[in-house]
Amino acid sequence: MSSPTRTEARAARRRTSPAALSVAAFLVLAAASWAYILSDDDSGVGKLFSAEGWTAAARFVGDLAGRGSESTPAFLRWDKWAEAASLAYRTLAMSVLAIVFAGVGVMLTFLPAARRLGSDDASTARRPIRRALFYVVRGLFIVTRGIPELLMAMIVIFFFSPGIVPGAIALGLHNYGIVGKLAAEVVENLDPRPARALQAAGASSSQVLFYGIVPQALPQLLTYLLYRWEVVIRTTIVVGFVGAGGLGREFRLDMSLFRYTDVALLLVWYVLLVVAVDLVSAYLRRLVR
Amino acid sequence: MARSADSTISNSRLLGLNPGLLGGKGLLTVLMAGAFLWSLTAVAWREPVLHPGGLGSLAEILRAAVTPEMSPSFLALTLESAWTTVAYAVAGICLAAPLGLVLGAAASGVLFRSRGLAVPAVAGLRFLLGVMRAIHELVWAWLFVAALGLSPMAAILALAVPYGGILGRIFADILNDVPEEPLTALRASGASELKVLLYGRLPMALPDMLGYGFYRLECAIRAVAIMGFVGVGGLGLQVQLSFDDLLYREVWTLLYAIIGLVALVDAWSSWVRRSLVT
Repeated sequence: MSSPTRTEARAARRRTSPAALSVAAFLVLAAASWAYILSDDDSGVGKLFSAEGWTAAARFVGDLAGRGSESTPAFLRWDKWAEAASLAYRTLAMSVLAIVFAGVGVMLTFLPAARRLGSDDASTARRPIRRALFYVVRGLFIVTRGIPELLMAMIVIFFFSPGIVPGAIALGLHNYGIVGKLAAEVVENLDPRPARALQAAGASSSQVLFYGIVPQALPQLLTYLLYRWEVVIRTTIVVGFVGAGGLGREFRLDMSLFRYTDVALLLVWYVLLVVAVDLVSAYLRRLVR
Repeated sequence: MARSADSTISNSRLLGLNPGLLGGKGLLTVLMAGAFLWSLTAVAWREPVLHPGGLGSLAEILRAAVTPEMSPSFLALTLESAWTTVAYAVAGICLAAPLGLVLGAAASGVLFRSRGLAVPAVAGLRFLLGVMRAIHELVWAWLFVAALGLSPMAAILALAVPYGGILGRIFADILNDVPEEPLTALRASGASELKVLLYGRLPMALPDMLGYGFYRLECAIRAVAIMGFVGVGGLGLQVQLSFDDLLYREVWTLLYAIIGLVALVDAWSSWVRRSLVT
């Protein structure tokens, strides 16, 4: 692939240097953004440098720590800990369900979304159905990836009873788009030789798929899913805000009722969950390798 | 008797005790299947999972998807909200990048020559970065709004803290992974560890750091788009308002704007990253 046109194009690209151009564009954008934000009288920047702003922030931190509250702070009460534990349990279940939904969806659809499957470059062009399927699935990836989890949850929550299922479906849909795109790219970048060897040995196309492509792509796909699980557990609290169950719903309730010591307890459980999932995911990713 | 011996063997295989037949991948399969079955038990199946009457609104929402609100005044509002979203995201990255650079350079431990000092300092800084990024940006936003009041600055700080945490962690890893030989040469010519960082590590790490920074800009747009939920301006706030009024056609216009904006920044950032790789 070292034809003169290709090298010339690469040299031209290096001359214009997209990175330098983009950094310059970013700086212009940054200047415009700050000008726009600072032109707002209520930007909050002034408050950041005023004693009043700092006392307000300090008071909020004090509220979280239970300073000056008459009742026992939530994080000193066993019943509150047990309650939060059961919420954390449901939140964890939601994240696992979401990853399973995303994983199953991707496994069912990522193959048509790959531009080249092994060596059948030519046959792709000849098959209009496969071409159409390619664009449909890729479009699905773009739309599901583009809608943030929270907005997805706002839509999904409409037709489900509140609980962990709508939250898991919303998170699953968003991550379906992200992992699907990555999985399709993995298949496109696979070593084509095993598939070609199978084809040369007379394997049918489904045999090429299951013995030449899937075994190579699967470990990478699992690794991506585990990485996304770490992100999903952070996001479960967010979809909980709009009515999906778990820690998020309780967090919202306690915030709006100014029960700040309860909020602090929920945050402790939340961080514990995130750290635990990070550790488990790191261990499982080692197993994949 | 023979049958029970057989089942013992298959049980030990299931538990991954026979690495020849059931190595890491087999164990992983069992663990994942188990996790899925366990997660199903946490669902309250006795209540109806589907919301009765929700299907009518589903049809209405899907119909609205093909007829988004296109009146000029609403399009102008959408455009303005999109710009607000971009401005907050860019401003947040402006704070997160230097924060991540300083914390990341410190957390990489490359500035310390004595191990006795480096180990606790690196562990402490890595823990700080971990807590910063463990909490989702929307939760930070809510906390900042509660502490500082509803203002653009709350959104910008809510983005800067977790993104500073993730950038710091990645920058630290990148700074640790540069090839050693040029650094050894610098040290041999008498450079201090700070100079090795500035003239050896940073120039070599810059392309990777820049590429990751642009990827995070893309994520920041998405993040700010949902911060409207806690009342900070931008596309998310408009979605929330339109949703509350059940104006699904407006919701779709805004959703398309978010998807378009994300796709645009996505294309930009992958263009930069591709150019940095070749």
